[in-house]
Amino acid sequence: MSKSLLDVVDLHAGYGLTRVLHGISFGLAEGSITTLLGANGAGKTTTLRALCAMIRPQGQVTFDGQRIDARATEDIVRLGIAHVPEGRGTFVHLSTEENLRLGAYVRKDRAAVEQDFERIYGYFPRLAERRHQQAGTLSGGEQQMLAVSRALMLRPRLLLLDEPSFGLAPLIVGELFEILRAINERERVSILLVEQNAAMALDLADHAYLIETGRVVLSGTSHDVKRNDAVRASYLGY
Amino acid sequence: MDTFVHQVLAGLATGGIYASLALALVMIHQATHLLNFAQGEMAMFSTYIAWALINAGVPYWAAFFLTIAFAFVLGLAIQHFVMRNIRSTSVLQLVIVFIGLLVIFNSVAGWLFTYTIKVFPSPFPKESLFGQKYLSSHELGAIAVTLVVLTLLWAFFRFTALGLAMRAAAQNPTSSRLVGIRVAWMLALGWGLAAAIGAVAGMMVAPIVYLDPNMMAGILLYAFAGALIGGIDSPGGAVLGGLLVGVLENVLGAYVVGNELKLAVALVLIIGVLLVKPSGLFGSVQVTRV
Amino acid sequence: MSAVAPPVGAPLAAAASTRRLRLIGLAVLLVAACALPFLVSNYRTFQFTLVLVYAIALLGLNILTGYNGQISLGHGAFYAIGAYVAAILMDRMGVPYWATVPVAGALCLVVGFLFGLPALRLEGHYLALATFALGVTMPQLLKNKYVEHWTGGVQGIVIVKPDAPFGLKLSPDQWLYLFTLAITVVMFVIGWNLIRGRVGRALVAIRDQPIAASAMGIDTALYKSLAFGVSAMYTGIAGALGAIAIQFVAPDSFGVGLSIGLLTGIVIGGLASIPGAFFGALFIQFIPNVADQISKAAPWAIYGIFLIGFMFLMPMGINGAIRLGWARMRHRHSKPAQREGG
Repeated sequence: MSKSLLDVVDLHAGYGLTRVLHGISFGLAEGSITTLLGANGAGKTTTLRALCAMIRPQGQVTFDGQRIDARATEDIVRLGIAHVPEGRGTFVHLSTEENLRLGAYVRKDRAAVEQDFERIYGYFPRLAERRHQQAGTLSGGEQQMLAVSRALMLRPRLLLLDEPSFGLAPLIVGELFEILRAINERERVSILLVEQNAAMALDLADHAYLIETGRVVLSGTSHDVKRNDAVRASYLGY
Repeated sequence: MDTFVHQVLAGLATGGIYASLALALVMIHQATHLLNFAQGEMAMFSTYIAWALINAGVPYWAAFFLTIAFAFVLGLAIQHFVMRNIRSTSVLQLVIVFIGLLVIFNSVAGWLFTYTIKVFPSPFPKESLFGQKYLSSHELGAIAVTLVVLTLLWAFFRFTALGLAMRAAAQNPTSSRLVGIRVAWMLALGWGLAAAIGAVAGMMVAPIVYLDPNMMAGILLYAFAGALIGGIDSPGGAVLGGLLVGVLENVLGAYVVGNELKLAVALVLIIGVLLVKPSGLFGSVQVTRV
Repeated sequence: MSAVAPPVGAPLAAAASTRRLRLIGLAVLLVAACALPFLVSNYRTFQFTLVLVYAIALLGLNILTGYNGQISLGHGAFYAIGAYVAAILMDRMGVPYWATVPVAGALCLVVGFLFGLPALRLEGHYLALATFALGVTMPQLLKNKYVEHWTGGVQGIVIVKPDAPFGLKLSPDQWLYLFTLAITVVMFVIGWNLIRGRVGRALVAIRDQPIAASAMGIDTALYKSLAFGVSAMYTGIAGALGAIAIQFVAPDSFGVGLSIGLLTGIVIGGLASIPGAFFGALFIQFIPNVADQISKAAPWAIYGIFLIGFMFLMPMGINGAIRLGWARMRHRHSKPAQREGG
């Protein structure tokens, strides 16, 4: 049983007076791909934001044995957590290469960073073609790849992905997910994936949690969750 | 024709000074979406510090660089202690704070150094270079210093990691946090740099207009005009705008409106640009979402 | 708490008694204000005349900036226009002093409205910048050679303080004070009615929720330009009265410092407040007098510190602090039945 990289216990969070998470608990094993499923407004994005301290969380969040719920985003990043936010968060006025370089901002090993450029371009050749192009002029799919690449430039231990399939053609999403699987297997990057597209997420992930109105209502291996009747009816359409 | 050439060239010299101050204004606007009404007074105050150092016997260039360092720290301090603590986003309250800073710097300068006009030395020789009669050595020197400062700044933002981080933080603070950039520090650095540039502008203009607490009020106006013309979001535009304003001021002042109405040129430019093309020549249009 | 509903009349009676208290208070103040020139020296009376003048100007600025949210850093320009109108009419054209006031008001109303039209396209700091530019440039505009013939250029214009009419046994300072007081009362009654009524509510709605306001059918453009015009009118009237009191106008007294002083006045007194105009006026009239003795720079240093300090500590100004304290006191002392029902 691989060790637990991320442990979330009784997480509460919200926006001002609106409380969205009402005590979420889940865990993520090192090296695994775990997905948080749920409908719009269930609290999936809020969970990721709370993990990175983009909003203030209440509860316990433990990463690699350290409590991170009281830390600032910039410090959490330095522990090795990279977040690809909803909407991608690309630096649209900067070039592709500058976006990637920013991903490695906190790293001190400059030679390795240059190597990583090559590795990333290996996974995403289309980005290499556009390396000097202004990021805002890239297509939706390319910007998503750029967003993921930027996160990977951190050499993170944990990658948080917020709805990477949003607005992308299924073919592109398939491509992207294949690369994510490769990265997970080859580089041992653990992935926490938030997705509305339950079918594709369950194909990629090992474990799944179903969130409804700010609470975890179902958890298990993706294999089991796929076969759950309620999930099949509401989220998988068959 | 001779005087026209002189007016244009002299306009470029003062335009360089306006360009520097305009750049400082744009830097702060890019990072905060605010107009720093106190930029001129901060520059004036720094220039007085330089004057005090020189008066105490410090050689010019040593005083020059010490003053730049002082201004940098001053800018940092204002962002850290004043701007960062303003809880409200009400535009009116922010403007009031800027005006408050303007007034405080002006009065402290007046209190510490009195309102008597002072002579501020120029590091450049009295005789004009190359024997030409279009530009005094100081004007030529001011252009050179402006060019050096602007080039250094451009290189800093374009080629260094810190410069990249500052650009990122100004454009997209949220994403910047997600890559580990400490946005508050970047903001403070931006203020420091802007203040430092302003100090250079002040030290270059003081020998021309003489040092007194009210020396920067008009210059601030020209700088705003330049920044608006170039585009309040465009550093390159700010520089071009500043140069343009310098030339316009001189030419219109000499041939059209007379020297006493030169400031009115700035007024007309500011209102004109704001009404006709608020994003300036190179800026981006801002869209307000409902 | 009581199981019986409070008597129907109780909350109304409470409101009525507050109103009565307010009216009595105002009446007392008015009597005191009328008695003032007979109790203090001529010089003090002159100073209080200026307090009234500033109060009118501050109410004007507040209508625009406090209630309508349009930031003006150049209101000194309208004050200057009013002052010069009075001076030019009196000195160059022999118009009696009392006639110059409405003329100044009318002219500034028009000029302000015309300025308000392009201002519609400017928001927030851009409007602040445009008005700031106006404020800084004003002295130059007044000094320039094209209008020198009228404005007297750098030297300005000297005018004569009027004597009391009908042979009344009043010194010029005393008469001028009472004249200014009468105008102040009129301007404030008009202003109070304006702000308490539909117009005031529209102005505030435009300030706080401009898009919703226009969706509700409020002609935002008209109200905003009118606000500029009315605000300029008030300040212009103040300028005319001020010129008559000081007997002198010169370009350099109408620089950006005056505009900043007016802004300081409404911040200290209280943005969007009518009584605040008086607190602010007292501040900008007397603080410089006192602080001047410490150093020439001191008044401005104090202005700056107060501007920033108030933004952090007392954003509602003195008036706001008083109202807060008053509300707290009343809540503590009110009867349980009234608390329940009100």
